[in-house]
Amino acid sequence: MFRFQSLDEDCTLEEEEGLVEEEDEIDQFNDDTFGAGAIDDDWQEEHARLAELDERDKDAASMHLPASTSQDSLTKTPAPPPSAPPPGLEDQGGGGDLAESLARLILGADPAIAGVGTVKMSDRVAQPQPPPSGLQLQPHSLLSYQQQSQSQHLLHRGTAPMQMNSRSIWESVGFGPVSVTPGLAPHMEDSSLASIMKEVGLPKKPATMRSDERRDLSERVPPPRSCSPVIGSPPVRAAPIGTPPKPPMSHPLNQQIHCPTAVHVRAPVQHRYPPPYPERLSPNTLLNIANSPLCRPPFPAGVGPVLSQIQRAQLLNSQVGPFPRGAPAPPLLHSGGGGFRPFFGQPPPRVGPLPPPNHGSIRHNTTHLHPQHRRLLTQRLQNRSDRGGRTGEHRNRDPYSNLMTQREKDWVARIQMMQLQSTDPYLDDYYYQNYYEKMEKRQETERDSSKKEHTTKLITPQVAKLEHTYRPVQFAGSLGKLTVSSVNNPRKMIDAVVTSRTDDEEKREKQVWNKRRQILYTVEKMYSLLLEVQDFEKKFIQTPEEQRDALLEQHKSHTVQLYNTLREREWDDRVSDEQCLMIMSVRKGKRLVSRLLPFLPQPQAAAVIMAIARNLPALAKKDKQDQVLCWLVEPVAAVIQSMSSSALTDLLQELQGSEGQLPRVLQNKFGVTLLYLILSEGERMQSSDTNCQLMDDNRWTELVFSVTRKLLEVPPASLSPPLFTPPNLLSLFSRYVDRQRLEQLQEKLQISALSR
Amino acid sequence: MNYMPGTASLIEDIDKKHLVLLRDGRTLIGFLRSIDQFANLVLHQTVERIHVGKKYGDIPRGIFIVRGENVVLLGEIDLEKESETVLQQVSIEEILEEQRSQQQAKQEAEKAKTQALKDRGLSIPRVDMLDEY
Repeated sequence: MFRFQSLDEDCTLEEEEGLVEEEDEIDQFNDDTFGAGAIDDDWQEEHARLAELDERDKDAASMHLPASTSQDSLTKTPAPPPSAPPPGLEDQGGGGDLAESLARLILGADPAIAGVGTVKMSDRVAQPQPPPSGLQLQPHSLLSYQQQSQSQHLLHRGTAPMQMNSRSIWESVGFGPVSVTPGLAPHMEDSSLASIMKEVGLPKKPATMRSDERRDLSERVPPPRSCSPVIGSPPVRAAPIGTPPKPPMSHPLNQQIHCPTAVHVRAPVQHRYPPPYPERLSPNTLLNIANSPLCRPPFPAGVGPVLSQIQRAQLLNSQVGPFPRGAPAPPLLHSGGGGFRPFFGQPPPRVGPLPPPNHGSIRHNTTHLHPQHRRLLTQRLQNRSDRGGRTGEHRNRDPYSNLMTQREKDWVARIQMMQLQSTDPYLDDYYYQNYYEKMEKRQETERDSSKKEHTTKLITPQVAKLEHTYRPVQFAGSLGKLTVSSVNNPRKMIDAVVTSRTDDEEKREKQVWNKRRQILYTVEKMYSLLLEVQDFEKKFIQTPEEQRDALLEQHKSHTVQLYNTLREREWDDRVSDEQCLMIMSVRKGKRLVSRLLPFLPQPQAAAVIMAIARNLPALAKKDKQDQVLCWLVEPVAAVIQSMSSSALTDLLQELQGSEGQLPRVLQNKFGVTLLYLILSEGERMQSSDTNCQLMDDNRWTELVFSVTRKLLEVPPASLSPPLFTPPNLLSLFSRYVDRQRLEQLQEKLQISALSR
Repeated sequence: MNYMPGTASLIEDIDKKHLVLLRDGRTLIGFLRSIDQFANLVLHQTVERIHVGKKYGDIPRGIFIVRGENVVLLGEIDLEKESETVLQQVSIEEILEEQRSQQQAKQEAEKAKTQALKDRGLSIPRVDMLDEY
């Protein structure tokens, strides 16, 4: 056991052995930490003592400073900054063993402190009177350094087991002696605690403030901010988000590494601008000059705190050379845009040249803006700079200007700009974008009405979308879920599993609801696709050339997808009636279809309309409010006009469909309108194109005949007024019906037209 | 405008004389020295100006740091126009006296009004209390 590695021979080994045997089972480390082996001296004491030693070292060099105060403190307080042990030991020499050992027992392992204790004990024992004067002891302290080793031996002889243990522990760890100040070295040699201090480094006391050396408090570095633990939380920044930029630090003189508040002595600052006025000014002239730019000084004339502070600032801020000490004499002035630095406030020191006052020379990042907008702003800038040129001279006189450095201004501006960044400007700032687009268009039309060329719009790029996939902190090898939840990964508290209920009745009831929900769901999905398709054009213009093909592909796939949902089966190209019906049964679905139709290719659109026509009665029934179906009129009209004659015929046939369908169709506004549309289109075809295929087979004619028949049969009440009556209907009917019927029709239709 | 084209920013207003109206009704006039992203203001050589009728009085206050949320509005003072004001400057004591009497008059009027309403069985809550919420 290394306990026995003491240098002590006089120690009663028997005692120790006994002790050790009893404690055989005790865990060695435990004992060392908590038991007899632990060092239980006061680290503060130790530190103070060592610091004291450090100073004493310096004092020793001077040799003349009385240490009476330190001695007094010694006797008065047993624990705190003790002087070097040797004086005490020196006093007592080899005697007073009892006192020594007692002292050691009380004050612990460190020989230094033990030594102190011995001083007092011996003092108390031997000399109840106040201690000898400082002068007397002083030479002792000097001598003590010479006789360190002797005293150490003295100490060792009487060391208690505790002390030995402490020493041995540190020895076992293997601290070697490190060279320190000569005065301390011999003392430190064997004291392992002290050797640790050497390793770590003595934290020096911050230098005391002397009155003549006024430190500029504005340069003091604030203590480092404490940050919350990182686990699971959003990334910790070195400085929290709201921190303003640190002013550019001049090279720190006397920087204390270990001291948390580093106080800098400011390095000399070069002045950037040649001072507009003479270097040396009397306070009065200074007053006058400073007062003039501030047109109406807020302070009454008698009070001049501003200026006296300027004077004080001058005292602080004189750059090169020694500080004028306590002199209100003509202070050295360094003026210019930012030369003055008032005493209050925390102006950052400017070490390097600053950019000239912002007079429109700074170009900021305007890429996110619309080019039109940018143009406006540059114009405005120019105007301002014209006007600002005159007032600029006044600004130079302001002694407090540019307290906020360019860097800080940029910082604030940057924060504000960040809020403007957008990955999707059409989403974030729709109205702004649209407004400028409209303005541009208007200007284009106004400007170059002569030129027909379409100038390509340059829309500035936006910030790229960065996908940050957040992965929650996972601990390997941990059991179960760990309670690490943060704002980014809120922890799921309950693992709820959904189990469907198998109640038959409920099922049936729910089926109805489910059906509706399903329809709505389908409609929603289609809508999202549709919106993508509709926005395609805008996106297309924005994307760069390389990506345009991809976008086009995407667009196509979207449209295909949309159509697919209407289809019956994957391989069957026909429009599914059921599906169509389903979708159209919902108001939103109808709207969807009306918006969708323009985007579908012709044959598919035609197919859709066929389906509508086929199922019109059913749709009409579901759509009691006629208005909703009528949304379809416009797109349908567009499609019809692009239809071929055969398709048109088919459509008419579909519309008539089964027996009794037409009357029902006629009852519905949309139906009537649709009919008219078809007829009018047919008529247009016939009249415009003589070679029209419409008359090739008799279908068209027959259909029209039946239509007219029905129209005449149907009572006027059940004939719903259409949205509009195409003008060429009359000519259509005139082809097919005789005069009498024509007149009848005319009446009826006119009646319907009037009753609209 | 230079820094933040198309937006309102105070950066252009730095080192200029401003009039700031606070939420508590005070009017401060001072040189705007520094700002931050919350529009907290650092006003230098600030003067609190009390207006009563056509008179006003200035109380020198020194440096103000105003939390941004307490500012109702602020605007740059045109130094040329400032000298052409029709208002009459008086001493601080006088303006405070005037203000006191104005407040008193207002209070009495308010009191009379509430009394009259009370007589008629009505009560109207004070509007200034709403601001606290």
